[in-house]
Amino acid sequence: MAATKPAHPDAMAPRTAGPTRTAAPMQPASWKTSPRMKAYARFGMTGWVYLIASISAIVIVWALGSGPEAYEQMQGVLAKPLVILFHVIALISVGFVLIRFFGLFPKAQPARIGPAKPPPEPVLKVMLYAAWAGITVALSVILAGGIF
Amino acid sequence: MATKKTFVITRFDPDKDEVPKTQSYEIECQDDWKVLDAINFIKDEVDSSISHRWSCRMAVCGSCGMMVDGEPKLTCKTALSSYGDTVEIEPLANFPIVKDLVVELEGFMDKFQRVKPWIISAKDEAAKKAATTMKEGTNRQSSEELLEFKQFSMCINCMLCYSACPVVSNEPDFLGPAAIALGHRYNMDNRDDGAAERNEIFRDEGTVFSCSYANECSEVCPKGVDPAAAVNQAKFNAVIDWATGFVVERGGAK
Repeated sequence: MAATKPAHPDAMAPRTAGPTRTAAPMQPASWKTSPRMKAYARFGMTGWVYLIASISAIVIVWALGSGPEAYEQMQGVLAKPLVILFHVIALISVGFVLIRFFGLFPKAQPARIGPAKPPPEPVLKVMLYAAWAGITVALSVILAGGIF
Repeated sequence: MATKKTFVITRFDPDKDEVPKTQSYEIECQDDWKVLDAINFIKDEVDSSISHRWSCRMAVCGSCGMMVDGEPKLTCKTALSSYGDTVEIEPLANFPIVKDLVVELEGFMDKFQRVKPWIISAKDEAAKKAATTMKEGTNRQSSEELLEFKQFSMCINCMLCYSACPVVSNEPDFLGPAAIALGHRYNMDNRDDGAAERNEIFRDEGTVFSCSYANECSEVCPKGVDPAAAVNQAKFNAVIDWATGFVVERGGAK
């Protein structure tokens, strides 16, 4: 369990060094095993999923602009099992990030802005989940050709 | 009833050692002991050369923060019975080590001063002296106003939050949870007029926007202060203050 990974050598160092020689700061050993830190690391790692998804979206738009044949070919690629698996991972990532974000969002709200106070935490959470559900339904309808 | 436990304690003597090492001590522990009781026993009865900080023994002074089995803990508040037969005691992570379990505090003090943790009054001193009524001469505060920031004023500067923070570990310029929480506490105080100055500091590099909201600071806080909430509220206020600064004088966002 003992800490083995060094922190930044200047972490919490004073502006001017004191007279005593000090040993370098270390990172907490529990970070590798702590479920909270694992969740935090997973939260950060979902950034790779969004990066790949963003690049894919640009490629799809590019194909759309390159004519019907290129777009048809792109749709064929999107139907491949590996790509579908990636989309499932992306969906899980978004769900995970939103649940974590919605859990932490209420306490990040200032006590008030001028005279206005935020609604109570349960109300705020219901509003966030309702907005998520509403946007998901609206996008699904649009993508299914229900509106445009 | 007494139980035998082994304590693996980090040792570092700046005059002799290049890097910290560990030393094990096996002692009989009483069931009602806190971790600090065991360290004090070792210091008093087994090895007087161990250096560690402690004072009040009742979770008020914030001196006895250490890593216990890899987690930052206030040792006077942590029951020994919740640990196994072997307990690892290390100095607070993310801090330079001065000797054994004692860490360098000056870096923390430097960060603390940067957020101006005192009431900045816009009231003119002459006007204060000339005031004849209590309402004119004092800073009044209702209990509702106090409740808005009270939890942030309960910090005991034990530095566990700095030890738990992954940003502190990697960004030496980061002001850190306790300092930002204290700055935010004064920004929220209706008697204070220094929000504009502090928001300016909060918008600097290495301040509130360096926080990645790991929330570890709030998880380890022994006083339930919730520094992560303060840091993220401070982010919000710093942005509101910046945005409103285009139309009104800065310092409006409280």
